[in-house]
Amino acid sequence: MKAVGARLPRYDGVGHVTGQTQFVDDVRVREMLWAKALRSPHHHAAITRMDTSKAEAMPGVEAVITHADVPLLEYGHLSALGIPADEPLLAKDEVRYKGQPIALVAAEDADTARAGVEAIEIDYEERPTLFDVRKAFDDDAPTVHRWGNWYPHFEGEMDRRQIRKGNIEEAFEAADTIVSGVYRPAAIEHAPLETQVSMVVPEPDGRLTVYSCTQALYFSLGVMAAHLQVPLNRLKVVGGTVGGGFGGKVDTASETVTALAAMKANRPVKWRWTREEEFLASSTRAPWHMEIIDAVTSDGWILGRKMLTLHDSGAYARFSPYGLTKHSFHHTGAYTIPNLHFDGYVVFTNRVPTTAMRGFGVTSVSFATETHMSRIADVLGLDPFEVRLKNANRINDTSPNMITYPDPSTVDVVLSIAEATDHSLDDAYMSMSRAQRSGDMLPEHLAAQIGEGHEHASLHALVHGVDNDSEGN
Amino acid sequence: MAVHRGRGVAAIEYPTGMNQNGDPSQAWIKVKPDGRVDVFSGTADIGNGAKTIQSQIVAETIGVPYDWVTFDNSNTDSSPVCTGTFASRATFVAGKAVLKAAEEVRHKLLEIAGLEMEASADDLEVVDGEVMVKGSPTEKLSVADVAGAATYGHGQLITGTGAQLKPYAEILDPETGVVSSPPHSAISYAACAAEVEVDDETGNVRVLKLIQAYDVGKAINPALVEGQIQGGAIMGLGLAVLENAYPYYPSVEHRGYGFGSYYSPGMEDLPELETIIIENPSADGPYGAKGIGEMANNAQPAAIAAAVHDAAGVWITELPITPELVLKALEAKAEPRREGKLVAFDDEISVNTVGAGISWMP
Repeated sequence: MKAVGARLPRYDGVGHVTGQTQFVDDVRVREMLWAKALRSPHHHAAITRMDTSKAEAMPGVEAVITHADVPLLEYGHLSALGIPADEPLLAKDEVRYKGQPIALVAAEDADTARAGVEAIEIDYEERPTLFDVRKAFDDDAPTVHRWGNWYPHFEGEMDRRQIRKGNIEEAFEAADTIVSGVYRPAAIEHAPLETQVSMVVPEPDGRLTVYSCTQALYFSLGVMAAHLQVPLNRLKVVGGTVGGGFGGKVDTASETVTALAAMKANRPVKWRWTREEEFLASSTRAPWHMEIIDAVTSDGWILGRKMLTLHDSGAYARFSPYGLTKHSFHHTGAYTIPNLHFDGYVVFTNRVPTTAMRGFGVTSVSFATETHMSRIADVLGLDPFEVRLKNANRINDTSPNMITYPDPSTVDVVLSIAEATDHSLDDAYMSMSRAQRSGDMLPEHLAAQIGEGHEHASLHALVHGVDNDSEGN
Repeated sequence: MAVHRGRGVAAIEYPTGMNQNGDPSQAWIKVKPDGRVDVFSGTADIGNGAKTIQSQIVAETIGVPYDWVTFDNSNTDSSPVCTGTFASRATFVAGKAVLKAAEEVRHKLLEIAGLEMEASADDLEVVDGEVMVKGSPTEKLSVADVAGAATYGHGQLITGTGAQLKPYAEILDPETGVVSSPPHSAISYAACAAEVEVDDETGNVRVLKLIQAYDVGKAINPALVEGQIQGGAIMGLGLAVLENAYPYYPSVEHRGYGFGSYYSPGMEDLPELETIIIENPSADGPYGAKGIGEMANNAQPAAIAAAVHDAAGVWITELPITPELVLKALEAKAEPRREGKLVAFDDEISVNTVGAGISWMP
């Protein structure tokens, strides 16, 4: 019997639908302590004083963890990729979003832990806040991040992600019509059924067993080991079965602080976020602000695109520089546009840091560019399927970063939907394929867009130039 | 006052694997003395079906039944590196790691079988748990017997290891974004048509039907692929018309703090769904597969926004498309600003209107 291509039953399906699958919170061990967090009540404030002594002296409180207990306070999930760290594991002298963790109390039961949190004495001095990414660049905008209001560490220490291709001015001069629009998809919650949760058990041999809901066991292992400054085999991350993630559990949200509490108390500790914490203090999908201006011909060719993206990163960078880069690589969508001018900024605000979520970086740009595409068709009085089929990526077309597409299927999927919706198209469109451009599908403005056909046009482009001058194909 | 129907379409693409690559996955496999197969992979299953898909790839590649395979992703002591379950990488990148490990296992099984059957390993194949001489299916030995012979006769452990890593694609020039090599493992494509109803009295948008076509390369498990596409569609519907973590964005006030105060899609929002799977195999994915887990919520919002325009004549470009936004747009009847060949929509929400510190020209 063939296994690949078969509708085989889900490996873990019976356990899931009968409630027998063991998730992190189902694991209980003897002597386990419960943890609760002190979180910032302010969107932006200096911490001017903190005293944990009364909490530490409370009967039943076994450990209080603050920034002072963390061997390496700042470590970024993407530090290994050269994206510098900016977020402390626990807030030290300032808080930049409401809900930011400041301290963790581990106690015999949840009520005692909560009482311990309330016994921590802390003073704040509130600071001005910034929430609108469009105002982050204004002279009178408050500064909300130590790097300034937008991320300044892209390659070459550039403060934005750029794409430049072809000659954008010529494209706009040659255009019959220029269409501009603004697109603002909202932040949404990951809303997993299983909230952020971890349990850490100190073992007799000095190792720590970390029960984790992470989507990425080794990512979390590396991040924990870096914060704790221990070798990888000091930790055993146990997980692999996640009660909903959608990107929100790529952040190692609770594991490291729980480990510190378990080490200090020398007892197992579980930290399970409440539903309210999951909604209000855990990361969301980012809100995005995108402006697109396209140079188009009256028969529906897109000659050039200018685009500005402001990515609302929230209080810290997390994965946002990565997400914006991915966004920029895909800002032409499923189409080939020869002249491009893209500027994107990762903007800091005083909201909960945003993070990865299903479609990271691209969900936003798919909404913006495809709604814009429909608008272009509407403005020009053209069929929205036909405009898409014309501009659709073809085999060996060149991407925004000058690589070629070996196997694009835009034409296939659009024709499939046309058929399924009984959308009538002229034969010229019905007979289109994803084959390399020729004839009517290779107008002059796309002549230089045919790559080498080995999925690697970049060196060719660097050597031969990538302007509008056709060198044939 | 009336209810209007409209249709819209969107087409999208999405990369498989981490952007710019550099994201390894590794796996190893051992065979028990009765031929049953244990797979150790570090891929978390977040509901995407990683355990199922990787088990299928191993069963197919070795040539044993699916239910002979156990899958262990439970901890970092026994499982090797997997960068994680995100970036639509589990089926393609981690799938290739288990595929390579399974190929090594099959090779070693055939070598032992060759000794037992006095045949060259090159002349043997594994079909449904049995090793047979190619073209002569009567000469055969069960995989169970081969594994037993390996353990008790030849003193050998049959294992395989596999690793997949596409090297980091460097940005050669930060001014232009030109990269050194393809910054992904593959690209998948999809299109979606939406049919909606817009009530011009209440502003309510009801999504009636979503028709979707996905090029998945190869559906390793068509049931799970359909699950991804249909589940993703409902998530995309939520993005389009319901969900908002900051209902008064950019304000941070009045956030929903639980399922009762946050509008995620419920059963009453479920539209009719039609799913079309296209298989244009990728050049080097496992059995031609590409990743589609994430893109499954990307096409619906634009298709729904276009359908709302088709129905009600207004473009809503802030998500979610709430009744409030629809009613305001119907009332404003805004026309784009036209200057020369420029047709400018949405001036009122542009940085040019709202911000002062960033210049942006239409």
